[in-house]
Amino acid sequence: MGYLRGFAVTAKKIFEGVTTKQYEGGKGGKTDQKAPKPERLHGRHVLNKYEDGMEKCIGCELCAGVCPANCIYVRGAENPPSDPKSPGERFGYVYEINYLRCIHCDMCVEACPTEAITETKLFEFSFSNRSDAIYTKDELLVDDDGRPQQLPWEDWRDGEDQHTSGWMRATAPSGKASAQGTVAWSGELGYGVRAPEAAQNVRTPIDAAIEAVAVDTAKAEEKG
Amino acid sequence: MTTAEPTEAVTGVPFTLNGTELVAEEGELLIDACDRNGVHIPRFCYHNRMKPVGMCRMCLVEVDTGRGKALQPSCMLPVTPEMKVETESEATKKAQDGVLELLLANHPLDCPVCDKGGECPLQDNAYAFGPGETRFVEEKRHFKKPIPISDLVKLDRERCILCDRCTRFASDVAGDPLIHFIDRGSQTQVNTFPDHPFSSYFSGNTVQICPVGALTAEPYRFKARPWDLEAVESTATVDSTGARVVLQSSQNEIVRVLGVDSDAVNWSWLSDKERFSYEATAKGDRIEQPLVKNEETGMLEATRWNNAAKKVGAALRVEPDRIAAVGGARMPLEGQYAWAKLLKGVVGTDHVDAQLDDGLPGPLVLGLPRATINDACKPGGVVVTIGADLKEELPTLFLRLRHAVVEDGVKLIELTSTATHLSDFATVRFDVTPGSVGQFATAIAKQAGADLDFDVADESGLVEAQADKVAAAAALLDGSVPVTIIVGRGNLAESPRFTSDAVGIFRRLNDDFQFMPALRRGNINGALEMGLVPGFTPGGVQRESAQLDTWPDVPDFDGMDTKEIFRAAAEGRIDTLLLLAANPLQDFLDEDLVRRALANVKTVIAVDGISTETTDLADVVLPAALFGEVDGTFVNLEGRLSPLRAKVTPPSQARPDWMIPAELAIVLGVELGFTTIDELHSELSEVLPSFADIDWDTLGSSDDGPVLKLNRSWNIEFGKPAAAPPATSAFRLVATRKLWDQGTMVQESPSLASLPSEAAIHLNPDDIERHGFVGDSVTVRIGDQTHTIPLTSDVRVNPTTASIPVCLPGFDARTLITGRSTTAVEIRPNGTT
Ligand code: SF4
Ligand code: SF4
Ligand code: SF4
Ligand code: FES
Repeated sequence: MGYLRGFAVTAKKIFEGVTTKQYEGGKGGKTDQKAPKPERLHGRHVLNKYEDGMEKCIGCELCAGVCPANCIYVRGAENPPSDPKSPGERFGYVYEINYLRCIHCDMCVEACPTEAITETKLFEFSFSNRSDAIYTKDELLVDDDGRPQQLPWEDWRDGEDQHTSGWMRATAPSGKASAQGTVAWSGELGYGVRAPEAAQNVRTPIDAAIEAVAVDTAKAEEKG
Repeated sequence: MTTAEPTEAVTGVPFTLNGTELVAEEGELLIDACDRNGVHIPRFCYHNRMKPVGMCRMCLVEVDTGRGKALQPSCMLPVTPEMKVETESEATKKAQDGVLELLLANHPLDCPVCDKGGECPLQDNAYAFGPGETRFVEEKRHFKKPIPISDLVKLDRERCILCDRCTRFASDVAGDPLIHFIDRGSQTQVNTFPDHPFSSYFSGNTVQICPVGALTAEPYRFKARPWDLEAVESTATVDSTGARVVLQSSQNEIVRVLGVDSDAVNWSWLSDKERFSYEATAKGDRIEQPLVKNEETGMLEATRWNNAAKKVGAALRVEPDRIAAVGGARMPLEGQYAWAKLLKGVVGTDHVDAQLDDGLPGPLVLGLPRATINDACKPGGVVVTIGADLKEELPTLFLRLRHAVVEDGVKLIELTSTATHLSDFATVRFDVTPGSVGQFATAIAKQAGADLDFDVADESGLVEAQADKVAAAAALLDGSVPVTIIVGRGNLAESPRFTSDAVGIFRRLNDDFQFMPALRRGNINGALEMGLVPGFTPGGVQRESAQLDTWPDVPDFDGMDTKEIFRAAAEGRIDTLLLLAANPLQDFLDEDLVRRALANVKTVIAVDGISTETTDLADVVLPAALFGEVDGTFVNLEGRLSPLRAKVTPPSQARPDWMIPAELAIVLGVELGFTTIDELHSELSEVLPSFADIDWDTLGSSDDGPVLKLNRSWNIEFGKPAAAPPATSAFRLVATRKLWDQGTMVQESPSLASLPSEAAIHLNPDDIERHGFVGDSVTVRIGDQTHTIPLTSDVRVNPTTASIPVCLPGFDARTLITGRSTTAVEIRPNGTT
């Protein structure tokens, strides 16, 4: 009979009403404000660089290998010794993400051994043809300041190009839960050093703070 | 306690494995006995085709031989009676853990950039048997990485776990001890000797067997990751050994070829040509569309298939006697059969020859009783080699034979034109000068008791001078042990007549001697079997006795061989010349004759996958699919059938070879009788008794492939051998082949193209001294022409002969070859005439 409880959830939701949040004023409108996004929202990707301008991607294809939607295509190649693109022997010379398929699960970000691929908070982008939907390496690479490129069909707002390369592993590299709570954020271009995240099964002051923010937001919404 | 069914002989060695009583074979290594019984012991250095060394200690297991338990390396330990083995015990696990922790202590964390990542035994073993967390926080050892150790292989010393596999392979298997361990302690590293790169024909095998990513091959470096790869089993087609391979592709491009451990053929080894020449199909100058020559401009222009086919059809509607075809050794068996049926069965011409006058007479090859490689390599036997250095022509067969001679005590008698890479191990090696091999054979056979009605005709006294060797060889060939005679064409400047003579004499000495044709072109044995040779129809049947129900016709005249075809063409006696994947301008010995022939033929039709200097001169070019792009069958030098499988799609309009004649037949108003490859197979099984029992679907999937049973209903007549040429003051020329040459497959593979060395004339150091040649070149006179040719001193060259490889960059050695039965050249110090 357990399924009845499932249906009950559905039934309840039917009568709860919908919460579609409009951008204030609409795009190009008077105020035109995006709603605040959660800290860890997964948006369109960027390929990061080191401070010296070297690409972080080494073309290892781990992101492509782990991608459940098969939307990443990577080819590695030997770094030309006279003009290396990345530190070490190998660099990613083809890098493509097909946004018609990407489900923004962030698995690629977790798989990446060099923190090369991360996700921004931008999800406001759409395209009218297939080839625009396939982002190439040129489009995904950050510029020399570590800022994502802003493509014509993307709706970037001030400050949104911050917070693009901060990332965190869901688990410690060893896969052991006991190693959670150690520093896992990367300190780099476009972001800052972060306090360690807590283990997922432990409630910490940060969790409390996040919840408080959520409650505040909900209240603000109720007020309209 | 259960008693498992022993998988092998019951009269073995009883032992206990993890509490189960089992039986091992006599002398079997513990690690093998465990494998055979389904218990996997982790390992790095052990390789079942090489001698164990016990370098890595990964295979430690707890063994009790009655004196208490102890950890012992299972790869070094033959099973002894009542041995008790624990592969899962605490002590074993602790040992595995410890070995891996120490191996990883100095191992770089390169996995994401390492080509081995994803298929790495070190990764796998670390996951399955390792500690999981590292305790090593110190700085690791560093080397400059990677360093090229040859043109094809790069070495990353940081990743090397010192397992000794590559070095053992190089010295023990390949006989090229060019890499070795140097330095001590944590600085121990594999390296080459100063100024001696690891330029072995077999270097790719070290990359395949390296258990880590320390050795990488240039053509595959960073091309793909293991999880991208799709694979299919196939057969290498670059030479007639027919080594079994797996083709791996990524994004519809073949990116890697690995050797498969076929017990009957290549034992997992490949030559670098077999391993890397796949590049030619992906990167070569492919013909993608049918091309037809524009009458006005004289240029080849792309056209549609039906236009090109119509044009070919018209050219095939002349007198059969005025149509000839050359080539076909590159194709799968199916293409060869379809072409044979079109040319001989529909068009009705017998002027068809798959060899470019660089092999042995077709009837000889077809008529000899065949040995398999395992027959030849069986311990206790005797092998006679007549012809070339197998290392240059059939390198994978060379590895098998080398193992047999060096490790298994097979006795070798060499009647080769120059010393070979096996000569050091030969029991008897003759100094054979061009034209004398038949006389040596006569002397040996007479001594061994053959009833011959002629004497040794040896004016020069060469045979007489080696009488003790003759006696030694005769003693080995007395019929008490199995004998395999490997016959090839070791000297392109000598008529194959002499080789046939020698073969004939050995045939008369003992009927039980078996033979192996060492022809080098890919599927040449398939081509001969399918009747792409004058005078024969498929199945090795002579033209007059052909019984082919499904064939509309058979030729009513005996055809010409390639040399005669080109002569006839040059004289305007041929209207239509088909070149089936042949590049005679490069490969035929008389380039000038080919040019005249091509100029005097009305329609030259080239069927090929890669554009060559010959296809450029054709009137119609039909694009064919190549290795890895089509399914089919390969016949190797044993007569063994093995599958060729498609992994990638042919470019644009290129078609499988068998479809092309089928299509042309329709233009001629005939049906060849098959529209699929399965129908073609049924027809083969139906009309050819040797193919009657072939199960085409499972070909090569479960075993090493069936060997064709060759029942020839006719006999070759062998007569008196041609007399050896008299001694002269001139040098007799030996024109040889090198593995790396100017041939299409090598030149169209970017990684291989630069490997051929410059042509040079090789002379024995004694001759160089006696004639006072100084400097690095000599003047060579042939007829009224003189050439200045680089000189190399080479102990492998027999005295009074001069050896020069053909088809190399620099001097074109073909210009020295006269086409007489042997060629004599005068050599003078440079600067004199
Ligand atoms: S983005 Fe990261 S995981 Fe993906 S190929 Fe580049 S380095 Fe590898
Ligand atoms: S050899 Fe294996 S363990 Fe070592 S870096 Fe390469 S993939 Fe990783
Ligand atoms: S290079 Fe590879 S095969 Fe050679 S010793 Fe090192 S690990 Fe072994
Ligand atoms: S596999 Fe036995 S010691 Fe290496």
